[in-house]
Amino acid sequence: METPKRGEAQTELSRTAPDRKANRVILRRTLFLMLLFGLITFLPLFHRLYTIQIRDHAMYQQKAIDQQTMDNPVSANRGDILDTNGNVLAMSATVYDVILSPKDFKALQERWDDKYTDNEGRVLTEKNGYYPRPETDDVAAALSAILGLDPESVLKKLEKNTYYEVAASRVELEVSDEVRGLIKEKHLSNSVLLVPTTKRYYPYGSLGAQLIGWVNWKNDNRGAYGMEALYEETLAGETGRVVTAKDASGKEMKYSFQDYYDASDGNTIHLTVDATIQYYCERILEKGIEMFDVQNGGFAIAMDPKTGAIKAWANSPNYDLNDPWTVTDPVLCEYLNTVREDPAALEGAYSTALGQIQNRQWRNKAMNDSYEPGSTFKSMVLAAALEEGVINENSTYYCPGYYKVGNESISCSQKAPGHGSQSLAKAVANSCNPAFMMIGQALGAEKFYDYLEDFGFLEQTGIDMQGEGISLVWDRKLFTAPSTQQNAYLATASFGQGFQATPIQLITAASAVINGGHLMEPYVMQSITAPDGAILQQTEPTEVRQVVSEETSARCRTILEGVVNGGTGKRAYVPGYRIGGKTGSSETVESRRGEDRTIVSFLGFAPADDPQIVVLLAYDAPKPVAHKSNFTERGYYISGGNMAALMAGELLEDILDHMGIEKSYTEAERAKIDVTVPKVVGQTAQIGIEAAKNIGFTVRTVGQGDTVTAQIPSGGAVIPSGSEIILYLGEEKPSDLVSVPDVRGKTAAQAREILAGNGLYLKIGGSSSYMSSDAIVASQELTIGAQVERGTVVVCLFSDNTMID
Amino acid sequence: MPKLKRDLTMEQQLVRGPLDLPFLMLVVMLTSIGVIMVLSASYATAMGEGRDPIFYFLRQAEFAAAGFVLMYIASKVNYQWYRWGSVLVLGLAFLLLVLVLIPGFHTNRSDNVKRWLRMPGIGAFQPSEVAKLGVILYFSARMSKRNTEKKKVYDIRKPSGVIFQALDEWGFMELVPYGAILLTIIVLMYFEPHMSGTILILIPAAAILFAGGIKLRWFAIGGTTVVSLLTLIITTTDYMSKRINLWRDPWSYPRDGGYQIIQSLYAIGSGGLFGVGFGQGRQKQGFLPEAENDFIFSIACEELGLIGAGLILILFVLLILRGYWIALHARDRFGSLLVVGITTLMAVQVFLNISVVTNFLPTTGVSLPFFSYGGTALMIQLIEMGIVLGVSRQVPAPKQG
Repeated sequence: METPKRGEAQTELSRTAPDRKANRVILRRTLFLMLLFGLITFLPLFHRLYTIQIRDHAMYQQKAIDQQTMDNPVSANRGDILDTNGNVLAMSATVYDVILSPKDFKALQERWDDKYTDNEGRVLTEKNGYYPRPETDDVAAALSAILGLDPESVLKKLEKNTYYEVAASRVELEVSDEVRGLIKEKHLSNSVLLVPTTKRYYPYGSLGAQLIGWVNWKNDNRGAYGMEALYEETLAGETGRVVTAKDASGKEMKYSFQDYYDASDGNTIHLTVDATIQYYCERILEKGIEMFDVQNGGFAIAMDPKTGAIKAWANSPNYDLNDPWTVTDPVLCEYLNTVREDPAALEGAYSTALGQIQNRQWRNKAMNDSYEPGSTFKSMVLAAALEEGVINENSTYYCPGYYKVGNESISCSQKAPGHGSQSLAKAVANSCNPAFMMIGQALGAEKFYDYLEDFGFLEQTGIDMQGEGISLVWDRKLFTAPSTQQNAYLATASFGQGFQATPIQLITAASAVINGGHLMEPYVMQSITAPDGAILQQTEPTEVRQVVSEETSARCRTILEGVVNGGTGKRAYVPGYRIGGKTGSSETVESRRGEDRTIVSFLGFAPADDPQIVVLLAYDAPKPVAHKSNFTERGYYISGGNMAALMAGELLEDILDHMGIEKSYTEAERAKIDVTVPKVVGQTAQIGIEAAKNIGFTVRTVGQGDTVTAQIPSGGAVIPSGSEIILYLGEEKPSDLVSVPDVRGKTAAQAREILAGNGLYLKIGGSSSYMSSDAIVASQELTIGAQVERGTVVVCLFSDNTMID
Repeated sequence: MPKLKRDLTMEQQLVRGPLDLPFLMLVVMLTSIGVIMVLSASYATAMGEGRDPIFYFLRQAEFAAAGFVLMYIASKVNYQWYRWGSVLVLGLAFLLLVLVLIPGFHTNRSDNVKRWLRMPGIGAFQPSEVAKLGVILYFSARMSKRNTEKKKVYDIRKPSGVIFQALDEWGFMELVPYGAILLTIIVLMYFEPHMSGTILILIPAAAILFAGGIKLRWFAIGGTTVVSLLTLIITTTDYMSKRINLWRDPWSYPRDGGYQIIQSLYAIGSGGLFGVGFGQGRQKQGFLPEAENDFIFSIACEELGLIGAGLILILFVLLILRGYWIALHARDRFGSLLVVGITTLMAVQVFLNISVVTNFLPTTGVSLPFFSYGGTALMIQLIEMGIVLGVSRQVPAPKQG
């Protein structure tokens, strides 16, 4: 505007000097305020925003997300463990923890009070959604009734000022359903919570405990021992998560994100173990431990010698996988009792002892520990010497009852005069130490050590089990150094003493001796399958190396069969099965100190011509009746042959029967089996003949009739299976008497033939289950020359030379 | 029949001058953004209370609309009237401040704080809002007359006269009325109690006195007094020292007291540069208390990021700068001081609010102008903006040529 307005001009004019000064002050100071409040104060704010939003962004975002999201784990189902036939050894099921939130419960009651009472405290029963007030006493009583707890303790927990109290852990589904009903009935959601978790079930209880292992719910349900621990990762699967945005009260946000990370269930493990064989092994262990007063437990391992697949792995002492903290083994319980009742025991002594005992029952002794294998090791020495050609079946050995190494005399189990002169087979059957020291000598330390190495005694077998122990063997230099000491090492090693091997090394090496010379890598896991059944992993038999030739192996089998067939292992003999093996009575560090600890063992395999199964059965420390005595209280001679072999025979019979291997009797064996003659008089010829044949008799008929009119011997008579019975069809049986011939000094077969010629039958007397084909009649029951009826049974006692391994 | 321009008095012509468009635009933009932010920040709360999700938004929008009308009316009022009208406003303020302390008039709260007057129909409002305006109006009116006021003559024969004479020469006597008013307000508001409200009255009042030419030494003395008093209070009372500790390390008090500021920092921090998106903020879902109120800026930060929050801050800065610009160009000293007071009030509120939500300063209950939910506060703020716009109408046009 060109001309200032009137008013403005007026103001301008009226301005006095101080006025202008005042205006300048206002101008200056307003500019200052402008700078201060318009700019300066905002600078720190921008800086603050930058710090929080950019510099510390990640930290704040993480914290915000942490509180904004519910991260619910979706537990994966742990895979099952199955035996070779698909029997479930371990499985999982969902159980629930019952959690109380006392603070939420109080809030719940307060909300109820707000909602259903008016200011005067009257209860508004007509109000929409009314339900009776959840009283603390009632809830505690109802809950404790369902959970089987003391109402007082539940009440106490419910009255605490916390958010988290465990009312009960791991309740089964039915109980949790009841709790769920109570929550619904009394409107207790948020105050009583059911948190799902999993429980592991072992349907067979203690079966294969150390092998299978268990899941420790105290440690996040992780596998604690055995397969459960070894295959933890594949069994456990992967826990999934559901991440949900939540608001401050924990409810899901209305519009929000949800991320799923699928849980992948654990995989199923198929073991090579056969639950039935496992059961037989455990049963025989237990039986033997009781029979022989065994102090230190024992083990039984069954393996497929051709593949190295473990068929059973039994340890004693044992425990129940469903309740691993409880000690059930009688020997261990007795020990704990003595600690508990010991008045002099210190405080905590019991719990310390319990802890030790628990660890002892959990550990896989047969896997973790090594021992001196004793005579069972001779199988390997035999194979090595045969392979190297330093001995053969025609070799003979003279045993005076001891063998001199340098100045030291090492005695044989058969003290002077010893075994005398014996063939190789006999020396093995006798488990003659001097003979084996000579064989070891023939082999030489270098070669001996080579075979020790080749048979796998210097390395772990690589079995897929936890905590495989290591052997304790001399250093090669020490073993082969030319010295007297070296000779002693070689000498003792020749009969399996002076070094320690693990049971699995021993049975694996023995398998190589009998399976054609192949040292296999033993294994327990057959395959791993995904939940959908797809095979993820499969174990194929792995041959580590060929140690001896097929031919050597076959020769060993024959010789080792002789151990059972008349040798020290004869108590393992089972008619109908061809069993081979080797007995062992291991000296221990303790026994050399003068204590009573012998490990009696038997290494057996069957059938001897084509081994399907190999077992190693050992009992640690049968208790002698008195210190240094060779007999137990029940009169068992402490040796592998008298103890382990006896049990192994029974075990192998069960296993072979379970494996569907038919018994095939030799002539001599058949003669030993007594069968009751059926009464067929009055039946038609056809039925009669069939009935007799079905039981194993041969039938001779006399006459042409259709009906059986008479029979020899008469029905009910007990005669050996395979004997000939005579059926008369329409004819009378001759009523003349025959005289009893002298069959003394004859073998069973000869005796039977002679007796049959006279119309008589042979029955082998005595209690021994074993009779070699060489055994001869020592005495007969009926007087020689006595006149008896046709068909009379003549009981004969045979003599056999018994041996000690 | 409307009068022709030439028939108007000059006063009337001045009042019909053009509004300051930049200032008006900034106010409209900030209010619009603010109301929209209320929508985002409040719907979780509304749903939580079982209300319509847009309940708060609609109410705020209604108040904003009413506020714009009031702002326009205020801008049409010739501000010269406030020279004497200010006395009425201040008187009303005192009346209300006394009234709010009387049981039955204030709203009942569990913490027994008496800040809100019951207002049937619109809910409740704070007398301190009126007091702010009253103080600004009265102080600027009185300060603008400072130079033209007759010098008081003291009877120097009396000893008291000598003292008064000396004090007057020192510049003390002219401060007495201001001091008396402020002291009365401080005392009244102490009983509410309302510390943040008191600050918001004191600082603009001080700004007017400062701009008006009061000698600097009084600010030095006043500043020293306030600082030493504050220090004393902080060190001697548990309540204040706890507040300070809270401010320094809110994480040590995650449950009591620190919770809100922690949640605010989570919200701001998770925004990052670009924010989680409008409406997508999660902290308002019950985590951050007062999300639609004092802490609405945190939600803005979370959803719009540093860019959005920075933009809002820049709009505030521009508004404040424009406010001072109007003050600098106002037609007279009264207009200048009035705008200085209102603009300073705005600036201090913004500064305090954002300082609190970012934990730059200890927590005080200061709402963010145009953003925080609250109908009467928004209306009064818009009326204040209307007053500034009214002053801007009378800004002399720049000389041309």
